[in-house]
Amino acid sequence: MDWSAIVDNAPDLAVGLGLTLRLALVSACAALAFGAVLAWALQKGQPWLQGTVRAYIDFILGLPMLVLIYLLFFILPEYGITLSSPVVGVTALTLYYGPYMGELLRAAFAGIPRGQYEASAALGLRPFQALRHVLLKQALPVVLPPSVGLLIGLIKDTALLSVVGVEEFMYAAKQAISTSYAPLEIYLVVAIAYWLITLLLDSAAGCIERRLNRHRIA
Amino acid sequence: MSSYVQVLGALPDLAKGLWVTLELTVLSAVTSFIVGHLIWWLRGRATPFWRGLGHLYVSLMRGVPSIVQLFIVFFSLPLIGLGGKPLLAAVLAIGLNSAAYVAEILRANYRSLPHGQSEASYALGLSAFQLWWYVSSPQVLRNSLPALVNEFTLVVKTTPLASVVAVTELTYAGQLVIARTFEATPVLMVVVAGYLLVCWPTLKLARGLERRFNRARSH
Repeated sequence: MDWSAIVDNAPDLAVGLGLTLRLALVSACAALAFGAVLAWALQKGQPWLQGTVRAYIDFILGLPMLVLIYLLFFILPEYGITLSSPVVGVTALTLYYGPYMGELLRAAFAGIPRGQYEASAALGLRPFQALRHVLLKQALPVVLPPSVGLLIGLIKDTALLSVVGVEEFMYAAKQAISTSYAPLEIYLVVAIAYWLITLLLDSAAGCIERRLNRHRIA
Repeated sequence: MSSYVQVLGALPDLAKGLWVTLELTVLSAVTSFIVGHLIWWLRGRATPFWRGLGHLYVSLMRGVPSIVQLFIVFFSLPLIGLGGKPLLAAVLAIGLNSAAYVAEILRANYRSLPHGQSEASYALGLSAFQLWWYVSSPQVLRNSLPALVNEFTLVVKTTPLASVVAVTELTYAGQLVIARTFEATPVLMVVVAGYLLVCWPTLKLARGLERRFNRARSH
């Protein structure tokens, strides 16, 4: 085992990890927004819109992430759309995770009793006020635990972007391996880094969850 | 139009790729089912060491990207004299990863069984194995079925990873055809159709089973 390969390549790996985290953050926010739009369209949209959204969701559910990445990377340039690879990566992650996020939001809001909506309207709350003061507070504790699972999945899927040359963590690892040829050592360190991120997210989510539920009697 | 003729000529290659995808899926799923049972069993041990080991396994499999796991398996196999076998590496990596999720599914359904059953079985003099084989396992497997079918589609969707270690499954077969014909769009359409063809019926099956089980439970 040649651990000096890790020390020599540590700065490059750190830069890659930084890009991974930024990619994940931007994609997660975009996927949340996209998911909210999809959930809204399924609930309130015209029949044709609902049909389109449903077809899109079925399409994504049956598609491997890697194939979606290839689709965007190969097909967009054929139509003259040339975006930088991190942008295409964020687009792929957003398109892929939007439907999953949308389903979580839809289920959470569907779980709020009908009377809450009616009471908000009766109190004269505008839709945005009702959302902010009444609905979101009830939806958030429901949405949070499964969306942390999605976020972890999203972070892991950023690693797939390395196959199309996005210079994130996994890509930095491959570069480091090509100069040092110590694949096992470097991949083990990369694995531990991803694992630590997951553990950190899980415990942070646990804290937030307890805080959101603090008004409930255990 | 000649480009489409070229792609048409490549259809047998893509069909072969789809077949490898199916092989890969079935082998990985079987691995996952067996190892998943093992991990489920570990997590139910009374000894903190074994229980902790099972927990660590699930945590590691859930926390590390599959592509990293695949490369670790791929570069570890030569150490035990099994180098140059990309298909084996892919099956192991995908199977071992999915096993963690299978173990969690089985565990969750096992915990929903009434506790009185195991007490009754001990009272009747059944051994631990008999309890599992005749009493717990049939119920756990039946209740887990929708989630397990769903997990199967996730395995299908993980198989394109094998392309990065040059297993000629559907995605890699598609890439090879693209490299030869320079026709990305039609080839990728065929690849996408291949995955939808496998995933849609299984997803539909999972949803149908779920609905049936929910109905059975509400009566």
